[in-house]
Amino acid sequence: MSNASVETRPNSQLAAPDPQQPEPGAPENWRRFFSFSTDHKVIGIQYIVTAFVFFLFGGLLAMVMRGELITPDADLVDRTVYNGLFTMHGTIMLFMWTFPMLNGLANYLVPLMIGARDMAFPRLNAIAFWLVPIFGVILTASFFVPGGPSQSGWWAYPPVSLQNPTGNLINGQSLWLVAVALSGVSSIMGAVNIVTTIFRMRAPGMGWFKMPAFVWTVFSAQIIQLIGLPALTAGAVMLLLDLTTGTSFFDPVKGGDPVLYQHFFWFYSHPAVYVIVLPIFGVFSEIFPVYARKPLFGYKVVVVSSLLITVLSLVVWVHHMFASGTPGWMRMLFMFSTMAISIPTGIKVFAWVATVWGGKLRLTSAMLFGLGGLSTFLFAGITGIMLSSAPFDIHVNNTYFVVGHFHYVINGAVVMGFYAAIYHWFPKMTGRMYYEGLGKLHFALTFIGINLIFLPMHPLGLMGMPRRVASYDPEFAFWNVIASLGGFLLGVSTLPFILNMLSSWTRGEQAGDNPWRAIGLEWLVSSPPPHENFEEIPIIVSPPYGYGSDEPLVSNNPKGTFEESAASTQIANLAGEAN
Amino acid sequence: MSSVNVNVKPDPTLNSQAAHSHEEEDHRMFGFIVFLLSESVIFFSFFVGYIVYKTNATDWLPAGFEGLEIKEPLINTVVLVSSSFVIYFAERFLHKENLWGFRLFWLLTMAMGSFFLYGQAVEWMGLPFGFKDGVFGGTFYLLTGFHGLHVLTGVLLQGLMLGRSFLPNNYEEGEFGVEATSLFWHFVDVIWIVLFLLIYVWR
Amino acid sequence: MGQQAYSWLPPQASAESILIDKLFSFMTAVGTFIFNGVVGTLLYSVLFQRAAKYDPSDGPPIEGNVKLEIIWTGIPILLILWIGTVSYQTYDQMGILGSMTQKTMETVETVPAEPTQKVATSVEESATSAPIEVHSRQWAWEFRYPKEGVSSTELHLPVNQRAKFKLTSEDVIHGFFVPAFRVKQDIIPGKEIDFSFTPIREGRYRLRDSLYSGTYFAANQTDVVVESEAAYQKWLQTAAKTTPTAAANVAQTEFAQAEKTSVSLGWATVKPAPAPIVNYSNQPNTSQPTPQFEEEPHE
Repeated sequence: MSNASVETRPNSQLAAPDPQQPEPGAPENWRRFFSFSTDHKVIGIQYIVTAFVFFLFGGLLAMVMRGELITPDADLVDRTVYNGLFTMHGTIMLFMWTFPMLNGLANYLVPLMIGARDMAFPRLNAIAFWLVPIFGVILTASFFVPGGPSQSGWWAYPPVSLQNPTGNLINGQSLWLVAVALSGVSSIMGAVNIVTTIFRMRAPGMGWFKMPAFVWTVFSAQIIQLIGLPALTAGAVMLLLDLTTGTSFFDPVKGGDPVLYQHFFWFYSHPAVYVIVLPIFGVFSEIFPVYARKPLFGYKVVVVSSLLITVLSLVVWVHHMFASGTPGWMRMLFMFSTMAISIPTGIKVFAWVATVWGGKLRLTSAMLFGLGGLSTFLFAGITGIMLSSAPFDIHVNNTYFVVGHFHYVINGAVVMGFYAAIYHWFPKMTGRMYYEGLGKLHFALTFIGINLIFLPMHPLGLMGMPRRVASYDPEFAFWNVIASLGGFLLGVSTLPFILNMLSSWTRGEQAGDNPWRAIGLEWLVSSPPPHENFEEIPIIVSPPYGYGSDEPLVSNNPKGTFEESAASTQIANLAGEAN
Repeated sequence: MSSVNVNVKPDPTLNSQAAHSHEEEDHRMFGFIVFLLSESVIFFSFFVGYIVYKTNATDWLPAGFEGLEIKEPLINTVVLVSSSFVIYFAERFLHKENLWGFRLFWLLTMAMGSFFLYGQAVEWMGLPFGFKDGVFGGTFYLLTGFHGLHVLTGVLLQGLMLGRSFLPNNYEEGEFGVEATSLFWHFVDVIWIVLFLLIYVWR
Repeated sequence: MGQQAYSWLPPQASAESILIDKLFSFMTAVGTFIFNGVVGTLLYSVLFQRAAKYDPSDGPPIEGNVKLEIIWTGIPILLILWIGTVSYQTYDQMGILGSMTQKTMETVETVPAEPTQKVATSVEESATSAPIEVHSRQWAWEFRYPKEGVSSTELHLPVNQRAKFKLTSEDVIHGFFVPAFRVKQDIIPGKEIDFSFTPIREGRYRLRDSLYSGTYFAANQTDVVVESEAAYQKWLQTAAKTTPTAAANVAQTEFAQAEKTSVSLGWATVKPAPAPIVNYSNQPNTSQPTPQFEEEPHE
């Protein structure tokens, strides 16, 4: 029974876009994306697009690298240039592509998925975003200072990173350190925001185990950021002091310990890769139920495994240092801890397979990328277990085997997962449908490209080709040629995607609120969502992924009790066919 | 499964209370606590570094240096730790809406914090080694300097809060600023206790 | 697939390589099994479990299956324990890493220092017990046989004898890596690292710097020659009698060439360390005579 005295808003006001607050995703509203907006949906898209631009830039650097590596000699670019290229390729891909992109997805989706109007701290959110172009500019500027950008690899190991051949105070390495420090500040701001939002702003009825898996994985990832990132900051500060003021934390000549830097660095940078991959796990967990029309298999176990991964990720970092100055007992200890992390990850993989199995599959672009990403990720996971074996790692550490492994994770899981997410939520974000044919073409080129470029890296590593080399012995030529061709194909594969995005955003078919008939709070609102997301905060009555069952997701019972009367509840999870 | 072409338009009279209360809730303290937990990891990392260097070093102290004086830093410690109690009382006054009591104790906290900073500077100037003198020099100045920076930030924030206390209706929407500054001060204090034990007490 | 794995690796030139390859083959077999299982299931589903075109209905609302979940948690745990145990045993048997003692760093600059004088008179008895000193620098390798008083830029080892080393670096972190031996150890400046392994197959193999060490890192390579005891002794004796000269290396050659050109195509670089002054060098453009013994073709 509702209170008759409370006024209701007429429906027309809900339907028509308010001219004062144009829809965030509308193309005629593009100026909003260059402004200081505190709307999480705008910020989310700002993050994603900015990150994608840097993804293309980092990819361009990789194309030049593959061009160099198509022949054994260092004949395309100078060695210093090549060293700068691989350093900046890694740095840009990590700090300017994956972290901002994932913050973008989280920003856009989390408030919608938990039934909130915005993030906990909208202005902090905007500040955190605008730091990204700033440190992006700093990193780009480092190409133009005397001495060029940092050439010590994205790890910046001392003593190489301390050598500073120009002797200048402002050099590529110091700019790099400043940019990474700023990136850390931005990430911490984002992490505080997201963790507070998820902890405190879930809609009534949404207990922890009614939260979508994507929100869980984002939460876990941000916890890792909060714990791990300050350790990197500490190491980076000490390195910067060594570089610019002459302290001796890591300089062996003055009594410093270069291996301590490695510990600081990897204590963050290993968990960092889980920061990158966990939200993608979340994306997979969202995608498969929709396009197989089945609930996520073992939802509770899947989300608990996210937490397990979070905890374990903090105690495996020495596996990056198996060949360093680490004693034998340390190698064995971390070998076992690293192997352990494959268990919760494996649980997720099997759960996804079980979600897909027996369902009614629709092979849309999102689903294709999801399935393809799952397969390449599985391959990466297997080579990862091999790498965790310390004696084997001693052979392949710092070779192309490792490069192949992590690129299978990053390109295979993260990039494919990113594309899956974009295809899946593009209608929600923009109110338009993308062109499915282009999407399928994009998938085919990407999948083939990824395998062509990164699979040959494994035999190369096994045969002993080190990584980060501008030149190599002629015996490695064959696989390098194939990898380079694959690389160029991968570069080309981004074109149908860009074309699809631009043309669909401006002239794609109108999408309805829920073109995929998916179950989730974000699909209950219009596409794109109104400025404050929900007219009224929904009340959650059932766990997520209720495919195949009659349970509605939300209840509109005025007393706030969770009865499922067919008369009084609206069936929110079946919005009909795609409009 | 029936396909119902329905868009959800929840009755606006419902959950208005829930929606309203969401807007009212102040999440800032929660966020600030999360931030402080993360910040403590930076100090924790520096502490670990210090411990590793000290336990592995062959020549730990710079040549000719016998060890740190403990007397003045101990006085500083007492002052800083006491100031945590002072600021607590200041907060109590504010909760009881005794603005002048709040301002007095708040100002006293600032004075004690400034005394600490002054004492730190005096100690620094009296030391025979610099921050480039080996790993000990580097870590000593890094740790005390980074901590000192936090003390300075704390005192500045306290100044800001003191100024704001003169604005009319400043505490209408709660006392988050004062509470957060106070929590930050306690945080700085705890860090100092660990630092003091590590650097001055542990030989 | 496990058998196939052997073919992806370099020839087994050390005792350690046999252990490693076996481990890798085992892991490949397990991995293939899992991969085929999962991807096979997915493929089946993709091919045969598609939704009918106009069927809007959902699939069965299966939310979990405790028994299945226990199985797919338990079996991986067992597999991991298995792989971990085999790995532990392999590492133990390899026993390549010895102590890592602190060593005070003497020089840091990469400007030319005084050339080191090598005393080279005659060789005593075979000195297989004295560790070979490996000096790594930006960007060349130098090997010193202290007992025989021989220095070389090419590492020679007698076959089937435990080779022992003391690894040091003069500047940055380098990596001692011989793929054919499956051994690798990062060389930390300021430390002297004991290292050992056993070559079992005669031939010429590549030694590569495996930890990125600066501009000419990729060129910091040399050869390892494993030969019979007799040939090894002969090499030592010949080298001991040869006057030490500076051995050219790729880094120096390229750097010198770059200095000559007026237009720089790259950015500033650390200058290569002065060339090792050695009895024996494997660079063709020195005054060394060609090696007298038989070599197997480079693998």
